Amino acid sequence: MSGPTFSSPMRPDESARALESEGRLVGDESIRDEADGAGSQDAASVARAAMDAEAAEVATTRGRRWTLPKDADPNVPLLVVENLRTYFTLESGTVKAVDGVSFTLRHGEALGIAGESGCGKTTTALSLVRILPSNGKVVEGSIKLMGIDLVGKSEKALRRYRWRQISIVFQGAMNALNPVQRVRDQIAEPIEERLNQSPDVARRRAGELLELVGIPRERGKAYPHELSGGMRQRAMIAMALACDPAIVIGDEPTTALDVMVQAQILQLLEDLRHKLGLSLVLITHDLSVIAETCDRVMMMYAGRVAEEGPVSEVFGRPRHPYTQKLLAAFPNIHADRRTLDVIPGSPPDLRDPPPGCRFAPRCSFAMDVCTEVVPPEVTFDGVRVACHLYPAGSDGTPITVPPGPAVDAGVAAAPA
Amino acid sequence: MTEVARQSEPATEPATESAAEPVPLIEVAGLEVHFPIRRGIVDVLRRRVSGVVRAVDGIDLSLNRGEVLALVGESGSGKTTTGRVIVKLTKQTGGRVLFEGRDVSMLWGASKLRPYRRRVQLIFQDPYETLNPKQSIFDFVAEPLVVNGLAKGEERVPRVLAALEAAGLRPASDFAYRFPHELSGGQRQRVVIAGALVMDPDIIVADEPVSMLDVSIRTELLRLMLDLRVERGLTYLFITHDLSLAWVIADRIAVMYLGKILEIGPAERVIRSPRNPYTKALVSVSPSPVAPTAGERARRTILEGETPDAAHIPTGCRFHPRCPVAFDRCKVDEPPLFDVGGGQSAACWLAEDGELPVAPTTLVATAAADPTPTTTRPA
Amino acid sequence: MSAATTAKAPTGVWTLRARGFREFARKFARRSDGVLGFVILVFFTIMAIAPQLFVGALESAITASGDGLGPPSMTHILGTDELGRDMLNLTIHGARVSMVIGLLATVITVVVGAVIGIVSGFVGGLTDSSLMRLTDFFLVLPTFVLAIILAPIILDMIGVDAEVAGLRATLVVIVIVIGITSWASTARIIRSQTLSVKERMFVDRARVIGSGNGHIMIKHVLPNVMNLIVANTVLVFAGAVFTETTLAFIGLGDPFLPSWGQLLYAAEAAGAPGLGAWWLIAPPAICVVLVILGFTLMGNALDDILNPKSGVRR
Repeated sequence: MSGPTFSSPMRPDESARALESEGRLVGDESIRDEADGAGSQDAASVARAAMDAEAAEVATTRGRRWTLPKDADPNVPLLVVENLRTYFTLESGTVKAVDGVSFTLRHGEALGIAGESGCGKTTTALSLVRILPSNGKVVEGSIKLMGIDLVGKSEKALRRYRWRQISIVFQGAMNALNPVQRVRDQIAEPIEERLNQSPDVARRRAGELLELVGIPRERGKAYPHELSGGMRQRAMIAMALACDPAIVIGDEPTTALDVMVQAQILQLLEDLRHKLGLSLVLITHDLSVIAETCDRVMMMYAGRVAEEGPVSEVFGRPRHPYTQKLLAAFPNIHADRRTLDVIPGSPPDLRDPPPGCRFAPRCSFAMDVCTEVVPPEVTFDGVRVACHLYPAGSDGTPITVPPGPAVDAGVAAAPA
Repeated sequence: MTEVARQSEPATEPATESAAEPVPLIEVAGLEVHFPIRRGIVDVLRRRVSGVVRAVDGIDLSLNRGEVLALVGESGSGKTTTGRVIVKLTKQTGGRVLFEGRDVSMLWGASKLRPYRRRVQLIFQDPYETLNPKQSIFDFVAEPLVVNGLAKGEERVPRVLAALEAAGLRPASDFAYRFPHELSGGQRQRVVIAGALVMDPDIIVADEPVSMLDVSIRTELLRLMLDLRVERGLTYLFITHDLSLAWVIADRIAVMYLGKILEIGPAERVIRSPRNPYTKALVSVSPSPVAPTAGERARRTILEGETPDAAHIPTGCRFHPRCPVAFDRCKVDEPPLFDVGGGQSAACWLAEDGELPVAPTTLVATAAADPTPTTTRPA
Repeated sequence: MSAATTAKAPTGVWTLRARGFREFARKFARRSDGVLGFVILVFFTIMAIAPQLFVGALESAITASGDGLGPPSMTHILGTDELGRDMLNLTIHGARVSMVIGLLATVITVVVGAVIGIVSGFVGGLTDSSLMRLTDFFLVLPTFVLAIILAPIILDMIGVDAEVAGLRATLVVIVIVIGITSWASTARIIRSQTLSVKERMFVDRARVIGSGNGHIMIKHVLPNVMNLIVANTVLVFAGAVFTETTLAFIGLGDPFLPSWGQLLYAAEAAGAPGLGAWWLIAPPAICVVLVILGFTLMGNALDDILNPKSGVRR
């Protein structure tokens, strides 16, 4: 086995429910990398070994933090996702968990993907590294990592990139860490196997990584259950960094942590980003985490992108009604009290989403066109919005619509 | 042994009622909950205790009728244990609990506790776990009535439906005969609330009632709880780790750390002018969905390390190892709660320039033979 | 779960139960092993309830219809035993005895085991420790040795000719012995499940509203261990049939009521193996194997459906 075990998050929290409502069967099974045909001495694997050796050299000499794969294109943005669609097939229908999502991640950038449970953000993240349960599949779209499209690749080919160029920190570190293996060994394992290092070198490197994330080297001997929640999350981060990836995806990396520990972890991510030149994709429902750490944010709702742009713009001047409402629903300790806005209704069933804009049933600005036509994505002022208030070609001035009660009173009135 | 000072609250005398000032609904004096640690079979056999987890280590609290008191703390602070003691799910090992002035510390046993339980209810954190998957919603909400002999058979129906409607599940008949797995998280939590309301209690202890729900649903539930407080004259003890939630709904906030209250007072004061360094740090790192400016980032106090475990509580002020402004005295003496004005008290030597109130209470061990009158109220 | 479906009409509890059952039936139908087991058991149950559907009345030495030890032939498909009785006839009637004894023993086992398991697990403390020591004691008792020792004692107590619920004394002994030696493992299993149910939040909630231990055990613990009990019962049944067969084979059965074990005993006594009269041995043996197989297949399928370990949803 190479690489850490990937367990599905099992805790009854938003992410797990997100997966459930997206149709994913939350299971107990670890999804393991398929055993690579290691040991076959064909030309390809020899070439790969050479590349790995080079990568290892870079890793240990603290040169450029990550290497370009052979077929990478250094001139394009780091990650370009276009029109991604990931569907889950259930008995009761097909859940269109991600239904046409596009975004770009540039080198050294931190992108936050925000939304509530069921919006498809976690599925998007898992689609990037293709850790989907058996009933989930990327049915359309492209994921271009340094110009290389990952969607068409076989599982075997994908393994070259998984954990090497792009890795993921799961939420609920306890589930992703092997309880019977020492932490240091779990970090050393991918170094040994993926970078073809000797166990000693790997262990030394693991020690360095532990210190990098703020865990004293001696604590590496501990087992996961001997560490506190914050330490475990740090260990997960160290593991994700083991092969010096270019991109780290964080799936709710600070949920379930105390506020103080959360602040520590977020600061750690910031530091690492600058020290190592990492690019970050942060998936969370917590807008404050994104405000804290990200440069850009993408708001998702019911499998689609609602709004996307620099954090200061999107949070400072939210255009999409959903963004506005969600921001207003966040208790803000630095603002006046008791401003709690309520969004009536609940997210749609993704097996049978409403036509047109999926937020329309709960939107107080909904017009007739909203329930018929899918709003096109419009870009202005550096912000991308999908809302009929900003029709194609808009310059940023919204159409004036008197805010009224939600169109579909029946759905809106249903208590969530 | 430290003396724990009483905060300056509207004066209350334990066990006597004064006609002039209202008695707090719930009072807790010198509450301690210590769990013995036994390692391995040898200790169990020898009944030897190799350590004590001091989950709650001497706190005083008053909950006044009609108020929302938020008990805020990180994990390991003892806030949940305190809540459990008040609803009598966990036994205290020291201190007293008073209900309307009467000592209920020794009141135990399912049947003896019935009158108390009718008036003090609990909302749990996890709406997915609080509902028995094999029990219909109707049965869940009706159960308190059945168990306490308040209604049976057909009599239950109007009360159950009324409780469901009060919790915002309308029309109630649509929900009553479903099973938990058919409802969303927010709906389940409403069912839990309905189950707590059905006996018409005076006090609801809410332990992280919204932390497992989506953001947009949280606000609905919080609104509901506040509305119920007005409609039914409820009193809330709101337990949470999220200071911003406390900010939004609480009248008073108490901040707990490692089993002690480090600061307590009106929400405005505690948040806007905290006098304890821990509270200050918590407020400064409390997240908000506004990108912080560089200046704001600089003012943040991110503490080092994590909360130590409650079996190894530091000497002196229990916060001193992580405190950015600790000095010599902090390592040796544990500060009592000092009154800093406006109903706010902070346990910090730096707050000492405020007055020390007149008569500090002393800890009362539960072992003392305190005859317990049963709390009864005409049903 | 996302959208609330408030447009639907309210459904009563029984409709919901029916729906739940249909859901279960659908899942069960997909398990070919479970369905096979179920079919086998239905077949043998019919055989046990209404043997006259297959053959005539039970043949005795007097009404024996064939020659002694006749091999299978056109008139006697499974041959005849040493008294000339038709083996098919005997085997089919044997189903009833084996199954009935199995059923009674299972009822005792499961009821005693479940009660002790739940009480012990839930109440804890000294009660738990003592009950568990008791359980451990019974767990290690060797079934057959115990049977041999207890048989004369119980027979003495109830009188050799006594009849309890239509069963003669010897068979009552077998039922009691199986019950005594099997309840312990059921108790352990149920207790273990009780320990985890006990920690769940809805039990806390039941306490907070004022429920006493008894109420919680019946209304909250029992329904949540019921799945395990059902799956366990089916497997206990298999074990009971096997134990009965073995006990009869070593001579503790009733010569007048031909359970399969009794038939095997008779076959052995008549020297069938040495005489090459396989038709005396094969039919009852195969039936025992099939029944146990049926129970086991169904029990495993039920266990997987009712106690899913994968798919964590509560």
